[in-house]
Amino acid sequence: MTLLILGLILGMAFGAILQLGGASSYHKIVGTLLLKDMAVIKLILMGIAIATIGIYALDLVDMANMSIKPTYVVGIAVAGLIFGVGFAVAGYCPGTCIVAAAEGKTDAVVTIAGGLAGTLIYSLVYPAMKGLIGITNYGEVTIPSALGVTGLWVAIPFSAVLFLLVFKVLKDRYE
Amino acid sequence: MQNEPILSWKVAGLLLGLVLITATALVKPVGVSTQYVVANAVVLHSAAPNLAESNEYLAKYGEKNDWGIGYGWMFVVGMFLGGGLSAFITKRVRQRETPALPPMWKAQFGASSPRRMMHAFIGGALLLFGSRLAGGCTSGHMMSGISQLTIGSFVFGISIFVSGIITAHMLYKKRTAS
Repeated sequence: MTLLILGLILGMAFGAILQLGGASSYHKIVGTLLLKDMAVIKLILMGIAIATIGIYALDLVDMANMSIKPTYVVGIAVAGLIFGVGFAVAGYCPGTCIVAAAEGKTDAVVTIAGGLAGTLIYSLVYPAMKGLIGITNYGEVTIPSALGVTGLWVAIPFSAVLFLLVFKVLKDRYE
Repeated sequence: MQNEPILSWKVAGLLLGLVLITATALVKPVGVSTQYVVANAVVLHSAAPNLAESNEYLAKYGEKNDWGIGYGWMFVVGMFLGGGLSAFITKRVRQRETPALPPMWKAQFGASSPRRMMHAFIGGALLLFGSRLAGGCTSGHMMSGISQLTIGSFVFGISIFVSGIITAHMLYKKRTAS
């Protein structure tokens, strides 16, 4: 029960941040992909920069409940290419369409319905996809585990690069 | 620009980072797209139980009377409520002239709600097909995966932006005056 309430509260915070940060907006997402509006990508990279240090600091004292997804390079690359087309066509992602639906954007409700259909199609063709998941599968590998070093020593320079990107490199380009 | 975000990317990014850390400390890293499978499994287990149980993928997510509705599901419900609440408080609910049409899309493709719905549906199907094949979406792979320095999540992040950037430029090749 506590776990369910915790899920609800964390979800509410996550949804509110996406909404207040503009991530549930079609023109902010497509503006990002057109390389004109950097607000959403900066939001995400800033979040990642902070989370990476935080998570690996927690990991140092064994307090991070990490969950590493398997790395199957070819399958994930193909999946990303498919996802990217959907990203640009819908102008939402699987999470932001839920927030956008709550804002009364009816096209986002349809994106959720499309998502359920896409999931069903994937379930039906799953046996045929197993080959793609099986090749170039390196398992649950992270940069620190591949290098054999303590996570924080990768996390700190990585986050520093992200901070440099968001504060110095990425700029909006409106004509 | 109309409807600029309430929070700057700096503040929103900082808060996002704190939520990602808190979730990992208390439960596990955040993710969304798995819940689409849970929703499908719930519906199919009652509508077409034979199909649901014989399907290798859905079977992983559902048992009778225990369909995987738990922490992750409540997280997504929370997203809807939290996003809706903040939109309501900041007066950003139903701001569009036509609910289905983003103004930018309308300027490019015309004022056809059915056509926008078609784009939104096909886009959604591609998003979730890709997410399920990858094992996560922008939340689970990009945000949570990259912040755990997962190598596959970097592959996913690069791949979605390469494909998304190319597709967006193709869709908006003929720029209408903006």
